[in-house]
Order: sequence, then C-alpha cells, then structure tokens
Amino acid sequence: MGSLFSSLGSVANALQSFERAINVTQNNVTNANSPGYAAQVPVLQSQNFETEGGSSGGVTEITTDTRNQYAETAVQQQESLLGQFQQLQTSLGPLQTVFDVSGNSPIPSALNQLFQSFSQWSTDPTNADYQSSVLSAAQQTATAFQQTAAQLGQIRLATNSSTQSTVAQINQDAATIQSYNLNITKEGQPDAGLDAQLYSALDDLASQVPIQVLPGLGNTVTVLLGGQSPLVIGTQAFPIKAIDNTASNAGNPGAPPNVEIVDSNGYDITSQVTSGSLGGLIQIQNSILPSLAGGGQQVGGLNTLAKSLADAVNNVLESGSTTVTPPYQAGQPLFSYNPSSPAGIAASLTENSSLTPDQLAAASPGPPFVSNGAALQLASLDSPSNGVINGMNFTQYFSSLAAQVGNAASNASTQVTAQTQLLANTQNLRQQLSGVNIDEEAIRLVQLQSSYQAASKIVTVIDQLTQSIINMVQ
Amino acid sequence: MEHAPGDVREYLEAARASMRSIKQLLSQPSAEMIDQAVILLREVEIHLGCVAALLNKSLLPDLEIRTEVEELQEEVAVLARFLAQADRMLAGWLQGVRTRRGGYTDRGQAAPLILVKKVTVEG
Repeated sequence: MGSLFSSLGSVANALQSFERAINVTQNNVTNANSPGYAAQVPVLQSQNFETEGGSSGGVTEITTDTRNQYAETAVQQQESLLGQFQQLQTSLGPLQTVFDVSGNSPIPSALNQLFQSFSQWSTDPTNADYQSSVLSAAQQTATAFQQTAAQLGQIRLATNSSTQSTVAQINQDAATIQSYNLNITKEGQPDAGLDAQLYSALDDLASQVPIQVLPGLGNTVTVLLGGQSPLVIGTQAFPIKAIDNTASNAGNPGAPPNVEIVDSNGYDITSQVTSGSLGGLIQIQNSILPSLAGGGQQVGGLNTLAKSLADAVNNVLESGSTTVTPPYQAGQPLFSYNPSSPAGIAASLTENSSLTPDQLAAASPGPPFVSNGAALQLASLDSPSNGVINGMNFTQYFSSLAAQVGNAASNASTQVTAQTQLLANTQNLRQQLSGVNIDEEAIRLVQLQSSYQAASKIVTVIDQLTQSIINMVQ
Repeated sequence: MEHAPGDVREYLEAARASMRSIKQLLSQPSAEMIDQAVILLREVEIHLGCVAALLNKSLLPDLEIRTEVEELQEEVAVLARFLAQADRMLAGWLQGVRTRRGGYTDRGQAAPLILVKKVTVEG
C-alpha cells in the first residue's frame, strides 16, 4: 500500500502544480488588456519519482515574470516625449487664435484701419471727419493691444493652473508607487496584480515628467525625476512643487514671474524637467509666453510692437505742427503707455483721451514747410520699405510673431504624429516581449485537452480490462 | 502450449512499469508528455490484453495474480481521477477563453473559438 499512497501523493502534487499553472494562464487571459500587466509564465519542474523509496516525486510550479525592463524604459521615454509635444500642441492652440494673421485677430485689422485713417487724413488735414477717424482708429488700436495682452494673460493663468494640476497628478502617481512599495514590503514577494498597477502608474507618470525607474530594496522600485531628483525611494515619496520664481523678473519689474519646479527640499529642479506634459507647460510658461507677452528676462514681441508703434506715431506728431503759419504749435502725442513696466506696455497702451481733433499735428514745419507733411509721414510708417522694428514694419512684425507661434504649433503637431508612431512601436515591442497572446494560450489549452481526453479513453479501456482479468482469476 | 503463471506475472509487471512511467510523464503537463503517456497506455492495454488471453487459456485461480491485478486497478483508478479532474479544469478554462475571445452565443453558451492568423507587414 505504500506505493499506492506514494502514487496518490505524487499525482495530487502534480495536479496541484498543474492547477497553479492553469491559474497563471487564467490570470494572463483575464488581464490581457489590463494596463501595465506583463504575462506570467508557469515553469513546471519535475521531481524525482520513486514509488518504492517513499519520495512523493511529482512536479513543482514556479511562476516567472516576462516583463522586460529595457522595453519598459523605452516606452516610458517615448511616453514622456509624446506628453511634452501633446501639451505644446494643446497650449499653442489658443495662442494661434490670438496671433491670427487672417484678419480675425484684432491687431492687424486695427493697424490697417489706423494707417488708412492717416492716409485719408493726409489728403485733407483740416477735415474734421478725417481727424475724428484718426482718433477713433487710435482708440481701436489701443483696445486691440489691450485685448491681446489680456488674452495672453488668460492663457498664462490657464497654463499656470495646468502646471499646478499636473504637479498634483505627479505627486498622486508618486503616492501610488509609494503605496505599491509599502504593499510589496509587507507581502515580501512579487504580485502580478500589484505589478500591473505599478507599471500603469509609471506609464502615467512618464507621460507627465521624465523618469528613471531603478530596482530598490526588496522588490520595491525607486523613481527618479530626470534621473537625478528622487520622487519615490522605497516607502517614502518626495513630492514636488511648482512655485513662482520671483527673482526671475528682476530685469522687468511687474512682469509675470517664471514658474519653478522645486523638490521636497526646496531645491530648483526645473532644468531636469526636459519632457513630459510638465516639460511642455514649462516651455510654454517660461519661454514661449515671455517671448510674446513679456517676462522677467524679455520685453516680449507684443510689447515691442506696442512701444514702437506708439513712439513712432507720437514722435511724428510731436515734431509736427497744428498750425500752418508761424509760430508753429507742436502736436500732442496720440498714444500713451506705462514706461515703468516694459513687459506691460501692450496692456497699458491707451489713446490720448484729452486730445481733440484740432490738436492733431498734420503739418511739418520743415524747412521746407509742408501742410500735410506729418500726416504723410504717419501714413508711410507702415510701408514695406520702412523697417521700424528689426528691419520690419509693424504689420510685418506682427506677422513674424504669428509665424513664430504657427511654426511652433506646426512643429508640435508634426512631433505628436511622429511620437505617437514611435510610442506605438515601442508598445508593440513591449507587447511582444511581455504581453499576453490569447491565441497562444488557447492553442496550448486545446492541445492539452485533446491529449488528456485521448489518455482518458485508454484508461477507461484499461480499467475495463483489469476488471475482466479480476473476474477471470476469481 | 500451456503458459505458466510466471508469463502472466511478467506481462503484469510490464504493465505496472509502464503505468509508473505514465505517472511520471503526467507529472509534467505538456501536450508532448501526454502524447507519450498515450503511447505507453496503449502498451499497458496490449500487456493486459495478453494477460487476459493467457488467463482465458488456463484458468488458474491465483491469489498472487489477483492481488497484482487489483493493485494495478487501483493505480488505474488514480490515473482516471487525475485525467478526469484535468479534463474538467481544461474544459472550464477553455470556456473562459472562448467567452473572453468571442463572447456568448444567443443561447448563452461560450462562443466557438476561432483562432485568427495574424500577419505583420513592416516597411
């Protein structure tokens, strides 16, 4: 009977191992589409089978993980780059609407009206209607600059809000990873379900910020931001913060400050955030928006345009004369702005409300005296040959700003398309290495079942044979 | 020609040896191992067929042979339970795979399994 118990024991053991292997396959198929899940492979190892020696023999089952760290890192890197370009594409959309050269943007249309009014006024400088048209166009121009500056301010606020929410999401993902590390430390061994949650959180995190994932103590993971600053080490998370860098606007008092990302110790780690959606937001907030609306280190294209226009128009009017005979009366400026805030000129640009139509200086005292000389000079300020700003006239300069935004948006869009393809490729590679192939699992099961059914039929025949033999020898 | 009970015992011993090998093979569940086990089971069937034929010719009641056959039957019973259990698990699991792949039929049964041949084109 010893051999019978031994046989029973080994068969039960094998059956148990086999059941575990089937459970692993079941997990694989159930989680085939679970984010972050890597296929588990049941490895069955036979033990010595000694029916006479008392050893139970049988088989042991060890589950191995097919996750490939190189494939995971490649996916995370591509996620990070895609996140950055997607963010740029999203954030540049509203900027493109503000800097629209097709006529929907208020500035080009206001400039066009202003210079048309100058041109009309130069044909009859004493015409009260033409003078009123000039004042009205100047008011529209100032309003257009104010509106555009306000729109850029709103975009900056929205970007700032997105930055704060992205940082909150990053800290939340870091907390999820910290919780995984806590669980894995308690359980002491890897768990495919926890592992899937971890890698799903890592993928999400990578789309927001560049990360490096390193194996930590006891199956935990260490996550570094930009390969340097710790986000999670073992059971500890290190939250980051987005703050206003008040020192950054020392060059332009009153300008909106740059955003700064600081680690849990308060050290500036902004330079490490080179990609991910947070990287895109920083690029918008610290580079693209200041180049247009002004910031701590630069005046901004819109303010340059507003200042140049106001100065050029005011200079001509102030050097002109409101009277056509001596003594000549110098004209009054048409525009005013706050010179103490160079990054806020567009927002503070206003027409001179105290200016009456008869105070507009149309004449140029010369010599030689020209009765409409100043008005003609104003009308020609925006001619293509008149390079007021960096060799460009006002309309051309606005177009160059629009082209700058358009190019950045177009580049972001191209990069999103390319990066989406690259991410899909790396995800496919990861799927090939560690994904679950339901067809393969099914084929394996069908083969096993066919073989077991064949064996089962023969065993039935053998059972009948042994019963017949027992009957014979009775 | 008369056959001695020793010939019957030899066939029985061969059948039991094959049964041991079968259990060893089945302890490593893979389609190849089970296919080999099926071949060995056929050998057991042949050995037992020979035993039955020999006993038919000379019906000698032998307690020793009876004990050996009964032990063999016990092993066959264990094997039968193992195979039945394995088949039950596989059938249940295949149903799971079918529903995962194709959902359910109008009658609420698992949809038939259709394996799709995948073609990957690059370049």
